[in-house]
Amino acid sequence: MRLLERLWGKTPSRKSDKKKKGTSNYAYAVTRVRAMKSKLLPKETYPRLLNMGIDEITRFIQESEYKNDVDELAMKYSGGDLAEHALNRNLALTYDKLLRITSGELNYLITAYLKRYDIWNVKTLLRGKIYNASVEDILESLISAGEFTYTFLSELAAKATYQEVIDALKETDYYPLLQEFDGTNLAYIENELDKAYYSSLFAVIGRPRSKDRKLFARFIKLEVDVKNLSNLFRLKKAGVEKSEEIMPLMIEGGLELNPEKLASLPYEQFIDELRQTHYWDAISSVAGLETASLTIVESRLIRYYLESATTYSHVSPISIVPIMDYIIHKNNEVTNLRIIFRGKEAGLDDTLIKDQLVVI
Amino acid sequence: MVGEELAIGGPFLDADGMKALGAALAITVTGLASAWAEKEIGTAAIGAMAENEGLFGKGLILTVIPETIVIFGLVVALLINSA
Repeated sequence: MRLLERLWGKTPSRKSDKKKKGTSNYAYAVTRVRAMKSKLLPKETYPRLLNMGIDEITRFIQESEYKNDVDELAMKYSGGDLAEHALNRNLALTYDKLLRITSGELNYLITAYLKRYDIWNVKTLLRGKIYNASVEDILESLISAGEFTYTFLSELAAKATYQEVIDALKETDYYPLLQEFDGTNLAYIENELDKAYYSSLFAVIGRPRSKDRKLFARFIKLEVDVKNLSNLFRLKKAGVEKSEEIMPLMIEGGLELNPEKLASLPYEQFIDELRQTHYWDAISSVAGLETASLTIVESRLIRYYLESATTYSHVSPISIVPIMDYIIHKNNEVTNLRIIFRGKEAGLDDTLIKDQLVVI
Repeated sequence: MVGEELAIGGPFLDADGMKALGAALAITVTGLASAWAEKEIGTAAIGAMAENEGLFGKGLILTVIPETIVIFGLVVALLINSA
């Protein structure tokens, strides 16, 4: 029922602010999620996909877990658009399923985590409206995995200007921030939205007392570190070395990195400093080189993030970690498939596409 | 006084009473323990089965394994009673 309400319902938000009562029932949720994880595409699939054309890949995913999504959308779209819509729809439905099969604190934390898709959608809408993208183009990039329903998001996408979009979001938490938007400071608003997301996530965790919240907090902090680190790499590569330029772009609350210290260092010292962290193992084979491409460094970092989630899911088998592990692996799979589709569509070289993929 | 009456009426529990109580404890505690274990494994098995029906056989076997606990309890209870 909740699925139907979610697909057709008009209310922009579900009641999830209050902490839900009841126990988390880990045994059920974790085993089910593990069974779901076993259905993700194995790594051997990707080289095969790279050898196929767009229609073949669509056919391939039509025979996999994405069958229902492709079947249902095949009437409306075709080619790369069909794949994009099907992937987004599948991601949204999968995350919705996670919320349906979990309860208690587990559900509460996952709901808070999935708010990132609301932010993603708000950003997409603003960007689309500023650059006058067509409604179809905007719809293609929306993922209704957060609290906003697809119906609500399509209504927003159909609005004429960004101002109307912002007005329609009046009752959400993002409104105060969005009011500052004047049509020119999109980058600033996007950064602030991201920061607001992470600070609200840390607020939800509070001072972690339960084991679950501690693990969840560690997980989020690792993610913050990975994001900060890839941003630092980009900035350092671009020659930005002033702390006051870098610091506004950093997200607070990382696990091991100290962006304040790293921000002011030139590239060589920055690398030396990184040698003392755990992240060095992940990137050591590429990062030392001046010529290393950022794509490879970033995909190594994401891979490290995914792998450490899997490791921790074995260390704490009955906890929130296996579920978070699934969430990010699923997201990674969808991203990989999207890269392949878009890469193929744009006629990119196979090796170029391969570098972008994060395959585990 | 009360003690004297009890002493006259014999001990509060005689040997047979103690045996019966011991057997009852053996069954109760192991019964509760296996119920708890089966609940945990059962929910997990249902979770796995919801995604992959092929796991029905494995799930069933794993779910009834804690049943051995209560069978040991039953054996002990019978041994106590027959001793």
